[in-house]
Amino acid sequence: MTTALIADDEPLLRAQLRARLAALWPEIDDIEEASNGLEAIAVFEAEAGRALPDVCFLDIHMPGLTGLEVAQRLRARARQGDVRPPQLVFVTAYDAYAIEAFEQGAIDYLLKPFETERLAETIERLRERLAQPIADERSPDETDVLAQLADRLARIGPQGRQPLQWIKASIGSTVRLIPVDDVLYFHADDKYTRVITTDGEALIRKPIKELVAELDGTRFWQIHRATIVNTRAIAGVVRGLKDSADLKLKNRPETLIVSRAYLHLFRQM
Amino acid sequence: MSSRFRARPLSVVPPPPSPTAVRSARRPLWDGLTLERIVWVTMIALVAAGSMVWFFRNDFLDLLVSTLCVAYTTMLLFTLAGNLAIVQRGAIPREAAQILAVIAGSALGTVVTAIVKGRSLQELLNERLAGFVATSGIGIGFGCVAVAVYFYRERDARLRADIARMAAEFDASRAREEKQMLSARLQLLQAQVEPHFLFNTLANVQHLTTTDAPRASEMLGSLIRYLRAALPQMREQASTLSREVEMVRAYLEIQRVRMGERLQFVIDLPPDLTGRPMPPMMLISLVENAIKHGIDPQPAGGTIRVSAQTTTHGVRVTVADTGRGLSELEGMGIGLANIRERLATLFGPAARLDLHENNPRGVVATIEWPDAAA
Repeated sequence: MTTALIADDEPLLRAQLRARLAALWPEIDDIEEASNGLEAIAVFEAEAGRALPDVCFLDIHMPGLTGLEVAQRLRARARQGDVRPPQLVFVTAYDAYAIEAFEQGAIDYLLKPFETERLAETIERLRERLAQPIADERSPDETDVLAQLADRLARIGPQGRQPLQWIKASIGSTVRLIPVDDVLYFHADDKYTRVITTDGEALIRKPIKELVAELDGTRFWQIHRATIVNTRAIAGVVRGLKDSADLKLKNRPETLIVSRAYLHLFRQM
Repeated sequence: MSSRFRARPLSVVPPPPSPTAVRSARRPLWDGLTLERIVWVTMIALVAAGSMVWFFRNDFLDLLVSTLCVAYTTMLLFTLAGNLAIVQRGAIPREAAQILAVIAGSALGTVVTAIVKGRSLQELLNERLAGFVATSGIGIGFGCVAVAVYFYRERDARLRADIARMAAEFDASRAREEKQMLSARLQLLQAQVEPHFLFNTLANVQHLTTTDAPRASEMLGSLIRYLRAALPQMREQASTLSREVEMVRAYLEIQRVRMGERLQFVIDLPPDLTGRPMPPMMLISLVENAIKHGIDPQPAGGTIRVSAQTTTHGVRVTVADTGRGLSELEGMGIGLANIRERLATLFGPAARLDLHENNPRGVVATIEWPDAAA
């Protein structure tokens, strides 16, 4: 008896894979379906003694948990219970980064729409592996391969860390996204940070310290413990009292203080 | 920012440069004594000697020695005069100093000639005074003509440089404008049909062909309508509100098949707005964002509402979703930043993109732009 899990957020694609498996792999007699990552885990965490599936077909891109995260959790569970870990097959429609990583990690994957031949090859391989005794199972560092994979995807994936583009701010009773381009300067104010823009003011909770780390440092300069200024809004700088300077803004009457620690920004570049 | 800014911060800038720095910035005394200048002067001396062979009874070589002596002496004085400290400070106009140098150089050159030819100065002054005056006079004449030509050329070069600089500035400003237009076009082209979306849709169609042929056909129809509007070569034509809305409808119909009950949508386009012009690919971009960052990450899904209204100056389209809500994350920003830039290029400050939180959850995104018919 062979059991399988199909996790995909698209109902038709789950049905399609189920139908294909029924045709190509009749020995599978129990197929669980999950429509997102959390559900996939829940199926096996709900019942204490529930056996893990022999094979998991996991869509990479799912709400809740990604296919990769589901795989890591299932593996961890198998280790805890000291049972055979499920065979993993990742499913994706198109994901250049992931496919490259799978190739490198020698991990099974399928592309949607499915090609019958490719699916048949994959099934053949899975059958062989399932037929082997547990002791001959691939080395335990497959878990590490998954971790590396997750790590690599997080790093090279399209959503690598980039500077903040939008500021989530409350203006009156509404919450808006303000493009950072429109911000003239940020100023710390008690518990909040004031955001002064071309057409108004808003408050955010994010402190100056965090903003400095997240904003694009070539466009936003911290000029004081409590102030970050948009370089495009600067009209000029004049020497102020002691070791500070006064910064004048375009289209704003107020001047900002550049404290001593940040004066170097305005020395000859 | 830097170029405008760089000129400013003088006041916070360190003390004035030290005197040594100033001195080193001065031109050396021999500045301008180039090979080109020496060649020119030599040629003038040759011409002068050649033209005087008929006038004096001396032979050509003898004359050439004289003219070269006068010419080189004048050239050296001319060069020195241009670089004197008093001239560099601006106390005396350079041209005046150099004309004086030509006159003095001609006289001194005549003396140098005598020395070179081994005549005593006594003899020169007493017996050959007439010759001295003549040689100096001719030297001054040739010298002044040469200097006049030189000054003229110098001014000409300055004018040319000015014109070239102005032309370059003009080109730069035009290049900036063109770059903006180009980048706006590029962004339009970059808004790709996502391969992930395309293949997933095809996988759905593939399954439906065996289980539910009429629905497969419907879904293919939607895909075709979407692709017609979304493929790059279709995009640059000016679009209309109804065209953009039909593209969105096709896209949402596909997504509804894919996501099943997780997605609901409502489209509300007043009939009188259908023909209004609208920049292409902006509305779909908002809707894609709403699905990708709002509805899809939520296991329970949500609803998208697309609507359009007239405003006092133009048209406003709104995409409201009940998804995960506003996020500062960059992934959400790219498409939106593109819309903002394109609106700014097309309409200036008259157009805007606004994003705020929906009640009780999700995001409301609106685009407003001016419209002549409004």
